[in-house]
Amino acid sequence: MALSWRFWFLAPMVMALATVVLFPTVYLFWMSTQHWLVTDPQRFFVGTDNFQRLLAGADFWQALRVTAAYLVLSTVIMLGLGLGMALTFARAGRGWMRAIVVMPLVIPPVVAGFTWRFLLNGEIGFLGAWLLPAIGLELNPLAEPRAALVSVVIADVWSRTPFMFLILLAALQSIPRDFYEAARMDGANPFHEFFFITLPLLKGALFVAILFRIVDAINTFELIYVMTRGGPGRATQILSIFGWRTAFQELDFGQAAALGVVLLFICLAGAMLLFRRFVQRDLEAGA
Amino acid sequence: MSAPRRYGRWLALIRAGFLGVVFVFVVFPLVWLALASLKTRAAALEVPPALVFTPSFEAYEKIFASGLVGAFANSLTIALTNVALSLAIGLPAAYALARMRGAVQQNLSFWVLSIRLAPLFSIILPLYVLFKALGLLDTRIAVAMAHLTLTLPLAVWLLMTYFRAMPVDLDEAAMLDGAKRWQTLLLVIVPISRPMIASVAVIVFIFSWNEFLLAFFLTARDAQTVPVVVAGLAGTMSFDWPLIAAISIGSMVPALIFVGFAQRHIVEGLASGAVK
Repeated sequence: MALSWRFWFLAPMVMALATVVLFPTVYLFWMSTQHWLVTDPQRFFVGTDNFQRLLAGADFWQALRVTAAYLVLSTVIMLGLGLGMALTFARAGRGWMRAIVVMPLVIPPVVAGFTWRFLLNGEIGFLGAWLLPAIGLELNPLAEPRAALVSVVIADVWSRTPFMFLILLAALQSIPRDFYEAARMDGANPFHEFFFITLPLLKGALFVAILFRIVDAINTFELIYVMTRGGPGRATQILSIFGWRTAFQELDFGQAAALGVVLLFICLAGAMLLFRRFVQRDLEAGA
Repeated sequence: MSAPRRYGRWLALIRAGFLGVVFVFVVFPLVWLALASLKTRAAALEVPPALVFTPSFEAYEKIFASGLVGAFANSLTIALTNVALSLAIGLPAAYALARMRGAVQQNLSFWVLSIRLAPLFSIILPLYVLFKALGLLDTRIAVAMAHLTLTLPLAVWLLMTYFRAMPVDLDEAAMLDGAKRWQTLLLVIVPISRPMIASVAVIVFIFSWNEFLLAFFLTARDAQTVPVVVAGLAGTMSFDWPLIAAISIGSMVPALIFVGFAQRHIVEGLASGAVK
């Protein structure tokens, strides 16, 4: 009994995560300081050169702008839709209805992307080639820059809104009924109830939902890869697609690693925010 | 008292209309995909699309004929390996974290949670270089190990939250009877937690089954999983829409089987315990 049972229980997990997460993370930082072209056998230390080239290139800023637009647009739509769905289901939720609405969440994003590409295709798609022209909208949604961004956002909304819906639904259902009854006694109408009871009490859940959305949006890859590959031009090239191009088309592993470091810091900031605000409080309450 | 009632009727109407729109938005793409999988290649290209047509199973037959079944075998093996490993490694770790207090516990749980929030892109290049050096590129082992970055933290976090809500009395009673910690876990905690463990298994399976990015970067041909194959076919110039649709439908089967079963826990899983 030299070591406590805790050590033996935790050791496998720590070792596994050290291999597939900790080591790669450390290695990433090292890679980001190297001159590392797949086509060039020579590798040497270049300091912050990869970062400088990354930040000096127009492609990075373009991808950052697209990511920001993508993030804002998808967050706004998902919040609205998710909140509307949660409010509807909190009152009149039937199990099977909820199961159907939640379905896209467990469908591979690749499939979600393919399905929407199939619908929106300008030559054969139900929406792109038939419905949109039928109502007088002559545009090829995936071939026109702005429409393409909206298209990938719609596909993402389809795929990920259920997640936001479920977070908000759980929060809504934890609001005590008495609050509403008391408000109604005082003559509140449904709009008062929403703005003075529901919304303030949802603040925490909204915060969590938005934070997860940010991380999710940064991790979005396959949906856009399948639908547009970042095109037309670079209209839907978010940071992850830009990273894939840098690494596997331009074969510049050094600069791609530098991008990986930048993304890591963005997400780490989010994780710390989330932890500080919710998890720690929860752990302390639980202890 | 007429005012609330008037609002009530309007709200009910808006609710019903909104629900209708949501249902069409969610269900229609899937129905359309299913229909496409039953068309012939030529029929899928018709505009305006035929709503009534003789179903053809050509696309599904093609999956078997062209050896794409291998991708399903890969996905299944990798997902099941992940379920086994995540539970074997995750159960004791989650239990220990749930019964610990203090700095070690807090730092370790933060680390586990932060992995869930880290961008996958950041670890892909190092993993690629690592597996290349080990000669493991394009093998199921590499993909299964890479998926542990997603599934292990998820399993640990879910089980930890669950175990923490369990009364300590059970453990204490077992230990008073002379059980060791591992006996307590295996003979007392695990049997009671069976429903939750089953749900975690389902969530891990779906995460691994649906994952694309890691599988895409780490495979070339032999170990390709279903999502990678779908993306690959969608990238070829000669589109075979029905074939891709049929594979897509096939790729949904496990998830749809499970979603009814573990819906509530899947929710918590995706939110990594942020939802209470």
